[in-house]
Amino acid sequence: MAKTEIRVGGLGGQGVILCASIIGKCASIYEGKHATLIQAFGPEARGSACSAQVTVSEEVIGYPYVKNPDVLVLMSQDAYTQFIPQLKPGGLVLYEEELVNIDGKLPKGARAVGIPATRFAEELGRRLVLNIVMVGFFAGATDLVSWESIEKAVKSSVPKGTEELNLKALKKGYDYGKEQAAQLK
Amino acid sequence: MGLTTLPRTLTLQDGRTLELHLLEVSDCLSLVEFYRTLPEQDRQVLKDDVTTKEWADRFLRKVATKEVICLVAKDGDKVVGEGSLYRSLHGWTKHVGEIRLTTARTHRRQGLGLAMASTLVKIATDLGIEKIVVNMVENQLGTRRTFEKLGFQKEAVLPRHVKDISGIKRDLIVMANDVSQIWAAMEAMVQDYSPHSGE
Repeated sequence: MAKTEIRVGGLGGQGVILCASIIGKCASIYEGKHATLIQAFGPEARGSACSAQVTVSEEVIGYPYVKNPDVLVLMSQDAYTQFIPQLKPGGLVLYEEELVNIDGKLPKGARAVGIPATRFAEELGRRLVLNIVMVGFFAGATDLVSWESIEKAVKSSVPKGTEELNLKALKKGYDYGKEQAAQLK
Repeated sequence: MGLTTLPRTLTLQDGRTLELHLLEVSDCLSLVEFYRTLPEQDRQVLKDDVTTKEWADRFLRKVATKEVICLVAKDGDKVVGEGSLYRSLHGWTKHVGEIRLTTARTHRRQGLGLAMASTLVKIATDLGIEKIVVNMVENQLGTRRTFEKLGFQKEAVLPRHVKDISGIKRDLIVMANDVSQIWAAMEAMVQDYSPHSGE
């Protein structure tokens, strides 16, 4: 199976790296695949550009850097501007639709699917779980990992006592991703 | 286990099943009856005289204003446990909630207290309460263990603060759980910043 390259981009404080790390953890620990993660962030704790590269493959990964991602998960306009030229033709953009404006620069054959993840997170009671909504959205829209595995990955990654709300956020994103993916078919 | 999961069926360790739900007006008589049948020894650790109609009316008013979120456990038509989250809707302690919990002796040591307490903690965090306190007498060891399992820690001791049925003065223990710290840990995880990077 060909490897899948993913780039998650956004701003510091949105949980970009945790989002990418959960996807990688899910694929490697709970699905038995290989995964690598590379993270990049500015010196500030909040607000600086931040991104992570995840590669998932059935085979050993020799080169972990993502140059042309198959999937972009975007949570800021800057991340969109920076990474959209790198997307593979026919690739998939999963974006936070209240923070990212898709302006027609998508590569040939690429598809873009948005989610009001911030609103969903706020409706659930904490904006903080925005990144977990995005994790669910990724899993639901791509089918790269199963619900059972992503659920376990989130449960084992978040602090004790926050599991219930995080799993609700995951489900909200997952169901929305499934719905949107069905409409794309 | 919060408000969205109520009502729900709870199976005790001995196999009995109970229903947990938020207090409804129709539960009121059964609740007063539950308190009237509690042994005097149990009632004397409660803050109010819960056997009177005046108490029930006052309590229902607080439930109506959501100053109190009351959870009851019912075995058939009979209330066998009552747990409430008291909160101040205004002022400098509105981030603090207090849990008060009573169960029937016939249903103790079966996981009922823990189930009710954890549901109330979840309700409190969902309501944005940041700190939860619970008061107990020094010899309520089972209650203390229950709350310790939920992350509560002893925060204060008021020496010889309560007098028991035989006139012995005992310490009142205030246990607290700063639930805001739970989400502080999550906040730290989404910082997207590692101060140790590059070392």
